[in-house]
Amino acid sequence: MSVDQAAEPRQRLHPLSPLLHGAKSLVVIVAALSWSTLSRVGLGWFAVLVAVLVLGALVLSVISWYYTGYHVVGRELRIHEGLLWRRTRAIPLERLQAVEVVRPLLAQLTGLAELRLEVVGGGKTEAPLAYLTVADAVTLRERLLTLAGRTPAAEAVAPTPAAPDHATAPDHATAPGQPAPGGPPAPPAVPVPGLPGVVIGAGTLPGRHLHTVANRDLLVSQLLTPQAFFLPFGVAFVLVQFFTEGSWSFIAVASTLTAMAGVILQPIRRVLDDWGFQLARDDAALRVRHGLLETRAQAVPLNRLQAVNVTWPLLWRLKGWLRMRISVAGYAIGDLEGANHPDRLLPVGDLATAQRIVAEVLPGVAISRALTPPPARARWVHPLARTALGAGISARVFAVRSGLLTRELVIVPYARIQSVRVVQGPVQRWLRLATVYVDTAGGLSAAAQDRDVHEAWALAAELTARARAARLSGRG
Amino acid sequence: MPPPAATPAGPPHAGAAPVTAGAAEPTDPLEPWPETVRWQPVSRDLIWVEALRLGAGVFVVLVGLGIGLVLTGHWLFVLGLVLTVLLTLWRLTVIVRAVHAWGYAERDHDLLVRHGLLIRRLSIVPYARMQFVDVTAGPLERAFNLATVQLHTAAAASDARVPGLRPAEASRLRDRLTALGEDRAEGL
Repeated sequence: MSVDQAAEPRQRLHPLSPLLHGAKSLVVIVAALSWSTLSRVGLGWFAVLVAVLVLGALVLSVISWYYTGYHVVGRELRIHEGLLWRRTRAIPLERLQAVEVVRPLLAQLTGLAELRLEVVGGGKTEAPLAYLTVADAVTLRERLLTLAGRTPAAEAVAPTPAAPDHATAPDHATAPGQPAPGGPPAPPAVPVPGLPGVVIGAGTLPGRHLHTVANRDLLVSQLLTPQAFFLPFGVAFVLVQFFTEGSWSFIAVASTLTAMAGVILQPIRRVLDDWGFQLARDDAALRVRHGLLETRAQAVPLNRLQAVNVTWPLLWRLKGWLRMRISVAGYAIGDLEGANHPDRLLPVGDLATAQRIVAEVLPGVAISRALTPPPARARWVHPLARTALGAGISARVFAVRSGLLTRELVIVPYARIQSVRVVQGPVQRWLRLATVYVDTAGGLSAAAQDRDVHEAWALAAELTARARAARLSGRG
Repeated sequence: MPPPAATPAGPPHAGAAPVTAGAAEPTDPLEPWPETVRWQPVSRDLIWVEALRLGAGVFVVLVGLGIGLVLTGHWLFVLGLVLTVLLTLWRLTVIVRAVHAWGYAERDHDLLVRHGLLIRRLSIVPYARMQFVDVTAGPLERAFNLATVQLHTAAAASDARVPGLRPAEASRLRDRLTALGEDRAEGL
């Protein structure tokens, strides 16, 4: 170990990091003190209070910065931190699920970036390295990705687990020859996948460009959400209250506004997060970049992809739009719906675009496949939604569809099935129905609801068999 | 019988699983493939463990109701006592049946676990997907010489817990699971 350490010295984070952390804590401190404190102690004391707390936070950040270091040792990334409680984390890179370069607003102003690693089993994002210079972050990311892509088996002879994806690569190699897909502002593709030191320019991603989401579509799509629809009513309510009562205190108004902001925060965040969404891929990884105030550039190795989720929100069906998300093992499971969950594959787009992207991500898979609905007697459980339900087996994936209003399609490649469950409730037993669940490591379960019992068993058997076959062939 | 949903042609895999599913038999949801699967029951002593666990809870409730009755003498407390006893008796029968319903089977490539009375569940977990195995034995379980084996996969939803195993059987199962899980080769 000491020999390895001699090989690569421990590196510190960027010296500006404590300053940025301090600035970040300013927001937290102000939020924690809240409106009521402000009105109670007055502006002057409030400012003093905040200043003292921020100074404290700053000192702590400087100390923690001084004692934080990272280096790559063999096939591990080691991160040392802590003054009193020393902690050294060794992150085995073969377990790496995704790497993300995040640039919050302040970091963008100072030319810094944060590197986040996703590892299986981590309840939360493991090891955020905040902050590095952008060049350093990108170099380190590419380095980690190349290390991660080289599985231990690869050093031997056998094709790696990534082999199926590589095997399909020749098919894709022909793709750029075809007329360049859709997007008008297609940035030039940089044909140096995985090469360390490729600094991403302002608007380009390494690899072959797949899709750019028009910001106008993004705005419209977020206006077509329930929150945006109800916003006028909320504003009207507050105004009416304000003008009729006339006796509202500062706190009441401020609190109401804060609550309202909370409601419409989600669409706004979606817009800010998904602004300028770009998707690209190189040989082994999917590259995503998006964000207005906080730019995120994510790299997800394609063989880490656990499932694809396609959603048609009710209002979006007017425009024929849909949203696609991918599920990657390691991202916090409880945060599936969170706005911060970095799982976007396509924030908004039409079916043709989605089709094209899915074909890249899961070769040979189509979205609009006919799925078989459950038997007619399932209408006792789903009087309206029966025909919206469906499940289907295809050559590489298992797909289920559900939801009457918000239609949802989950696609799970057989090779990523973790376990299969058959569950039957009392009503289902009476109707001779059963639900088949397929669990993936991303926290997403595909549920084929209310199938005929015989079919459910057959499905479970078929899925286990196919999952096994896919695992074996995946290993070579 | 209804074919597996939208299967285009015959399954491409070469006899990966001994499955002639969709055959006429498996109408009983707990007996999916009777000809290929040999279900192992869990130990009947689990009934005692579960009953004692139930008893501890019931005891607290009964004491509370009893104190209330002594202090106030209100008839509602009597009703509560009677209801609690009835409920406990019903729960006991459920426990007995639930323990009988619990079973597991080791197939060539996966572990099957079934349980549940009202909501019946069957989990099929491939050995290759195993991340780690937990063997636990609480004080009550230890008193009855039992242990619980739980197989964890990377999916949090996977549900492969086998309670009420004799320690010898538990460690055999654990060793077998870890041995079979060894051929895992990828990060996930």
